[in-house]
Amino acid sequence: MECYSEQDVAMFVDGELEADAARRLRDHLATCRRCRQLLDALRAENRVLRESLQELPEEAAIPTEFPRLSPSLAWTDIAVAAVVLALGSIVAGWIDLLSIPEGLQWLSPFNLGGRTNLLFSLTYYFAQGGTTMLADYVAVVGKILLLLLLGGTVLLLGHRWKLRQLGLRLLSLVLVLSLPSFALERRHSEFVTVSANETVDDTLLASGNTVRVEGVINGDLLAFGQSVEVRGTVKGDLVSFAKRIVVSGTVEGNIYNCAGSLDLEGQLGHNIYALTQSLRVDNRSRVGGGIVVGAGDVSLEGEVNRSVTMFVGNADLSGSIGRELTMAGDRLTLTNTARIGGNLTARVHNLKNVQIADGATIVGKRDIEVRTRQSRFARPRFYFYQAVWLAAAMLVGWLGMVLFPSFFQASTQAVGSGWRSFGLGFAVLVGAPVAIFLTAITLIGLPVSLILLATYLPAIYLAKIWVGAFLGHTIVKPAATSRADWLLGLLVGMLILTIVRFIPYLGGFIYFGVVCLGLGAFAWQIYRVSRPAIRT
Amino acid sequence: MDARQNNSKGSQPREGNAAQMEGQDLESVIERAQGHDVEALGEIYRRYVRRVFGLCRYLLDSRESAEDATSEVFLKLQHSIESYDGSVPFPRWLLRVAGNQCIDLLRRRKRGRQVFVELEGGAATLEAAGAGPSPLGAVISAEERAQVRDAITRLPENYRVPLVLRYYSELSYDEIAQQLDLRRNYVAALIFRAKRELRRNLADKGN
Repeated sequence: MECYSEQDVAMFVDGELEADAARRLRDHLATCRRCRQLLDALRAENRVLRESLQELPEEAAIPTEFPRLSPSLAWTDIAVAAVVLALGSIVAGWIDLLSIPEGLQWLSPFNLGGRTNLLFSLTYYFAQGGTTMLADYVAVVGKILLLLLLGGTVLLLGHRWKLRQLGLRLLSLVLVLSLPSFALERRHSEFVTVSANETVDDTLLASGNTVRVEGVINGDLLAFGQSVEVRGTVKGDLVSFAKRIVVSGTVEGNIYNCAGSLDLEGQLGHNIYALTQSLRVDNRSRVGGGIVVGAGDVSLEGEVNRSVTMFVGNADLSGSIGRELTMAGDRLTLTNTARIGGNLTARVHNLKNVQIADGATIVGKRDIEVRTRQSRFARPRFYFYQAVWLAAAMLVGWLGMVLFPSFFQASTQAVGSGWRSFGLGFAVLVGAPVAIFLTAITLIGLPVSLILLATYLPAIYLAKIWVGAFLGHTIVKPAATSRADWLLGLLVGMLILTIVRFIPYLGGFIYFGVVCLGLGAFAWQIYRVSRPAIRT
Repeated sequence: MDARQNNSKGSQPREGNAAQMEGQDLESVIERAQGHDVEALGEIYRRYVRRVFGLCRYLLDSRESAEDATSEVFLKLQHSIESYDGSVPFPRWLLRVAGNQCIDLLRRRKRGRQVFVELEGGAATLEAAGAGPSPLGAVISAEERAQVRDAITRLPENYRVPLVLRYYSELSYDEIAQQLDLRRNYVAALIFRAKRELRRNLADKGN
């Protein structure tokens, strides 16, 4: 009988020959020495193959724990960093707060008029009792951003070389070391005054209910308070965040401010950069430079040496502007005494809203353009920004997948639980601000509330990423769930969400639902991760 | 490792042994894991992570990819374990899942290009049996085993994958055919050619 092919014998050895064929081959083996030798050789070959394969080509750096069941190292480290941050802030804040017992009143929502008041009162609180804390937060936030950048780089590199642990530990360490270390000469009390016969030689950080400068400050003035008054002289810049700012003296530098109202009644050496509800440049005053302002109401009665640029609701000009006036807004009025040394460029919605008195002087050209509200969809810029936002979301999604793959994937899956996520998300969306507020008024809880806030806001942003990824995943239905699949799903999902969002009326509701869903999934995942770790 | 001990006894009884050796309670561990018991999942991970990694490492081209794939397999296991019905031994089922994961990955990497293509006449007749000494059958020392491993990792993908699925995962030709979406005969041919290629490579090295 003819011998069997090597492949047939190999299949026989593998137990893969069909029963009949196997029986015939077995019979043949009894008589054929050559095929028996082949059989033995092939068996030996299989044995060697199996033995060789049992040892791995190289050892894996496999974590000894199940990937998701315990909080990942990143979460542990972040938790540690957060606790350290919180403790550091509490201690720093506590030391400052000790001397300010009555600092609570401002926070009562029942005493205050509205959001603006709350905003400024909050600031006042920081100025009054928490300047150091605020300064620390600012410093820490700045450092965190920087460190995140550095740390992120290390993490990304480390992801390949398994330096992730080192990177995170380093990050935590630097965070700890970089806590409260903000040193600035400051005065703070209920009523901060630099009296008429006093001269401050350096930059002054002043915070209080009222900050009043009657003397001379040779450096800059950084002022935070309900009311800031400069009656004397500030030789540097005035940087201020206050409910009301009045400058009746002299500021030789610039004014940078964010205020409820800014009244300039005195002299300013350089420019005003302001974001304010109302700006008034009194007829006695003079601005040596120009003005860039975003404001509800602007009234220019005095003299501005250079150009004025404003984004404004209502602008009145009765004084003089040395160069151009550029405005975009709702209403512009030039009185008889108004004078513009250069061009007037105005962008308004209705020509009737521009009133120029006959006696007004405009040396340059008048360019008044009525800007009809063009559909945003008609502007290329709209699409550009949508693309940028989409790219940003993809980047955030990718970073999340690189840094916390299991958390991100699990959050995406958690979206699928539908009503649970939605309900939980709705509760978090509504409940978190209340919780943040309640924690904040206990003073000691303030750092906690800030941490909560710092989690809450990004979570709202991330919500759409998880929902997008889930949606995309449902549509694309990849066979596996690798990072690339997840990102592809995210892209598809985000595209859909972006488009759906602009459906008139309905889009808003859908987007609200998306935020609730994503937030719920996030909260659920946080809850799961925070359960005790399982060590194996 | 237990699996290695099992292996010396040949292919088929391996999983049964594995189950016995790895503790009488594998069934109950799986049952608990199916109920999302985290400790049970952790136990399964501890027992099988190395085997799964090994498979991924042989099928994929880098350690990092293998580690990622291993994580993926266990992440997905949390849900997919619910579908395990006990009809095949668990380690074998798990390795099949892991194999699928890697094959998916390989396929996606070569988007648009099929990884495992059946060539016309692919399962055509092969040369008649030659009973000469095979360099594969002769090697046994640790060093030589390393050589074999090395040669396997350098095999072309379409040879390496079925070979590893057969002799590492202990999948049947039918299972491999199903995973790779090929005909059974073609799988047999690929494995056969893979071995021939291995022999050639090892013989070249020996000379």
